Amino acid sequence: MVEHVVDSWRPLAAVLISAVAIALIVASHRRPNVREAWSVLASVGKFAIVASMLPGVLDGTEYRWSLGMVPGLDSEFVFGVEFALRADALGMLFALLASFLWIFTAFYSAGYMRGLDEPNQTRFFASFAASLSAAIGIAFAENLVTIFVFYELLSVATYPLVAHDETNEARAAGRKYLAYTFFGGGFLVLAGTALVFVLTEPSTTTFGATAADLAEADPALARAAFGLLAAGFGVKAGLMPLHSWLPDAMVAPTPVSGLLHAVAVVKSGAFGVARVVLEVFEPDLVGDLGVGLALAAVAAFTLTAASIIALRADRLKRRLAFSTVSQLSYIVLGLGLAGPAAVAGSGTKTVIIGGLLHIPAHAFMKLTLFFCAGFIHVETHTDYISEMDGIGKRMPLTMAAFAVAAAGMAGIPLVAGFVSKWFMLIGAVEANQAIFAVVLLISGVLNIAYFWPIVYGAFFESHDDADSKPLVEFPLGGRASGGASAGEPEAVADGGAADDAHDDDAAATDEHQEGGHHDTADHEHAGHAVHSDDQHEDHDHHGGPPPGGWERAGWTGAEGSWLMLGPILAIVAGAVVLGVVPYQAVFLELIEVIAGGGVG
Amino acid sequence: MSELLPALLIVLPIVGATLPLGVGLLRENVGWSIAALVLSVEAGLAAWLAAAVYGGEGAARIVHVLGGETFGRRGATENFVVGIELVADAFSGLMVLLVAGVALAVLAFARRGGPRGNAFYSGYLLLTGGLMGLFLTGDLFNLFVFLEIVGLTTYGLVASDRDAESAVAALKYLVIGTTGASLYLLGVGYLFLRTGALNMVDVSRSLAGEPEWIDGALYGDPLVLAAFGFIAVGLMTKAAIYPLHTWQPDAYAAAPDAVTVYISALVSTGGAYAFARVTWTVFTSEFFAVGQNARILELVIVLACLSVVLGSGLAAMQRRLKRLFAYSSVSQFGLIVIGVCVAVHPAGGTQATRLAVYGVVIHLLGHGLVKGGLFATVGALAHGTGARRVREYAGLAKRRPFLSGSLAVLGLAIVGVPPTIGFLGKWYLAVGALNTRLWPVIFVVFASTLLTLLYVARLLEKLYFDGPAEGAAPAAGPEPEGPGAPGGADGAVITDGAGSLSYGMIALAVSAAVLTVLLGFAGSALTDAAQPIAQAVIEAAPEVSAGG
Repeated sequence: MVEHVVDSWRPLAAVLISAVAIALIVASHRRPNVREAWSVLASVGKFAIVASMLPGVLDGTEYRWSLGMVPGLDSEFVFGVEFALRADALGMLFALLASFLWIFTAFYSAGYMRGLDEPNQTRFFASFAASLSAAIGIAFAENLVTIFVFYELLSVATYPLVAHDETNEARAAGRKYLAYTFFGGGFLVLAGTALVFVLTEPSTTTFGATAADLAEADPALARAAFGLLAAGFGVKAGLMPLHSWLPDAMVAPTPVSGLLHAVAVVKSGAFGVARVVLEVFEPDLVGDLGVGLALAAVAAFTLTAASIIALRADRLKRRLAFSTVSQLSYIVLGLGLAGPAAVAGSGTKTVIIGGLLHIPAHAFMKLTLFFCAGFIHVETHTDYISEMDGIGKRMPLTMAAFAVAAAGMAGIPLVAGFVSKWFMLIGAVEANQAIFAVVLLISGVLNIAYFWPIVYGAFFESHDDADSKPLVEFPLGGRASGGASAGEPEAVADGGAADDAHDDDAAATDEHQEGGHHDTADHEHAGHAVHSDDQHEDHDHHGGPPPGGWERAGWTGAEGSWLMLGPILAIVAGAVVLGVVPYQAVFLELIEVIAGGGVG
Repeated sequence: MSELLPALLIVLPIVGATLPLGVGLLRENVGWSIAALVLSVEAGLAAWLAAAVYGGEGAARIVHVLGGETFGRRGATENFVVGIELVADAFSGLMVLLVAGVALAVLAFARRGGPRGNAFYSGYLLLTGGLMGLFLTGDLFNLFVFLEIVGLTTYGLVASDRDAESAVAALKYLVIGTTGASLYLLGVGYLFLRTGALNMVDVSRSLAGEPEWIDGALYGDPLVLAAFGFIAVGLMTKAAIYPLHTWQPDAYAAAPDAVTVYISALVSTGGAYAFARVTWTVFTSEFFAVGQNARILELVIVLACLSVVLGSGLAAMQRRLKRLFAYSSVSQFGLIVIGVCVAVHPAGGTQATRLAVYGVVIHLLGHGLVKGGLFATVGALAHGTGARRVREYAGLAKRRPFLSGSLAVLGLAIVGVPPTIGFLGKWYLAVGALNTRLWPVIFVVFASTLLTLLYVARLLEKLYFDGPAEGAAPAAGPEPEGPGAPGGADGAVITDGAGSLSYGMIALAVSAAVLTVLLGFAGSALTDAAQPIAQAVIEAAPEVSAGG
């Protein structure tokens, strides 16, 4: 394949179009319709600009912009490093995904924010546009310093979204978010970048130009650089033990949890790991240094542990967050395995394809799930899984979409998740790392274990006649009488009444925030459980079904606003398309260009 | 003609300082206008000087010998200079631009913000003249003189509010600052004893053993080592490095807002500049490569690291904004001193030196701009809303969007978030330190991002995500952005407090924020400007002259 680079302003335009939209959004803060129109216009424009570069990139053309193209400016940003954007195949993958999904999110968030009558909507939409700018900047950054610039800007831009509610809980989550992301960015990534800069001669951090020098550097320092970069990007990718900001950040409005904390922000971390593995160190060196296996091990641990924690989360968004932590580690696992595979000499391409394909696959599925959660919240103010029994009657289309996406998460064929997982399974075996294939299979089972109860409860149970949920209601490890056993969510425990919350406070730390919820579990049958930890006190809403049980809504969209239902259905359709005809959807084609270029 | 510029830059504000008092006998309130006039001319001269220095190929070194060069070196390099040299080179040229720019810009704040009175503007001009001298002098003893001029006028300006608190702060500053200057003088005395010279270039050459009457390099001489120790302690006092920083928070907090802006941007910068100048071009890296001399450098680095860590920690514990940012300065100057030491540490090669010099120069400029901007913003918010404590900042963002935005941008710049000049400085300091492989130092430099975030994030959260505190009624009712127009503002003396916000203050804060971001993209221009300095430090040359 002939690679050639052309100078173009388009990468910059793709970054800046939503930055321009910020000014317009703020300027039209008195007219919500105009304001939301700017969001939609910016998202469509952004996607159009990114898509316009797609055919060229597929043919091996790369579009490059550097600061030097601005008259009167030198392209050098810091000594020996240019400030440059380059739309290559890997960058296109992320940019295309983020900008495409933003279009739907723009509609959805308008519906969501209005449906809840949220305050500070202008700040919300402005920060949202800023986040997308930073995300595209990350996608197209040509070197580690440039990616760091946008990585930090993304942290700054998303902070107002996490702390949006201005409640104590939101502020605490915002603090935690800033602390974690700046530890990841300003400390770890910056240190790793500086180390790469120092280890190369002449000093450079451009992707694809550093591996040779790093191979000759002191292996201990090269490993340190890899560790710093991988851990730094791993913070946003939710790698354990640096993941705990993500579940807390779920206090943000759901479009944020959806697009940013399932797609743009967390994927920017996974994308950073991809850049580091594929282009800063390159798989051969990652394998030689032995760091690929270490990364894969951390990812394997994360994806298993997070799935187990997700089993016990009762708040739907929290369960989805841990599912995100787990699924992101699929991507990191695939990338980490590239190292051992390169050493083994087979399977490199397969694991990379699997890992990278999981970026769009997970994005489509998880966005659907979050949008469903948000839609349920807007329409019924229900946040807890234990209150969602029978909700399929009230929101049939939503829960159907939820079921499809959940199936994809578990890796069931015909949905997006299957294809990526298939590549990873094969690749892991080819690379003589079959243990990771086993981990992937176990994780699939766990996925079913935490998603199926929701789907089952929604469609096949009603609120008054629901089985108990021993996994979420009982202390960790079961009660002394041995009522509940892990792994069987359907098991009926004796003494179905919820235990006193104080007993399990120590054991179930993850449930801590929901401690108040347990106290009120007994009263739920009265229909109006008021959560003591409710973050929307001022909205005076009650979770769960109305007194007479869920009313029935038809399958024709009577369940709520089409502003929100439309995006849900569109995205879940996308997830199915990715699963059924992966080669026709453009992502796999892009990824083969990447894998071909990075390995062959 | 351009040889006269260094002298003019010093003389003009000092002579101008007499005018407000003199003309003040005839008319009241002429101080501001005279200062504006003098400083505008001064800024023009500074720009001219910068053009002369940077205009040609490389960077010129413009020397002016006060009183004319009647005998002495006269072009030859063997003899000593008799008389005081003023030197404008790549390093001092940049600093002169900063001083002239800040001095003029702060006037925009002082017009409404006060303090009023002709005496204040006399002091203000005198301080500007002293700073110009501090940056331009090429003579070690003369540096002491200008340090004292700067110190004494600062004491006066800090106390110009005439209340008890600022008087105590000024007294504390006076005692500690004068002690520091005396220690510096002691060090210079030792050097004079050993070399018989005071001119920086001559002292440096003597230390290297160049003159024929000196028997080899003097780097191993205990007297010279002691001289460095005294000079380092003295100048670190002026730059407010832990544990010699205690004067600074009081002085910054008690001074009138306009004075805080000015001294935070320039006065400690002067101390740090003097330290860098003496360390780099008088002692040079060759001094530290001899024997165990690097140990004293490491001692300074340890103090600077403590300064970074404890300064940030103390800043995070402050309730009052001005104290908070004062401690932040302690931390940031710790970073700068680390850079100064790293540049001449024998563990680093030429690359470490080059990058650390870039870091020091850019961070000196950047910190002056950012910290001055922060104090201007904090002062403007105090004038507009009466809020001077962190807790009173709750929800202010909705009332003062522009000032809050400036505070956010400048705060993030001090954290080192790109693309700002704060990031550039920190990046060069970090990669410079990384090249020396002094791991604890490297850790501190990178960790400083998080330490700074401690206090900046707390502030931003208060500003943007917290409602006004219950029970504490806002000091002033909601008012539109802009001057809270109390009638007859022009003539009446407005005491410090709510309701005296002016467009000048807002403009100052916002333009500082904008400039901070714009300079973030000027990395290559800044490193080009600092290149001759780096070259001189690498070659251990006593003169910063044209470099390639």
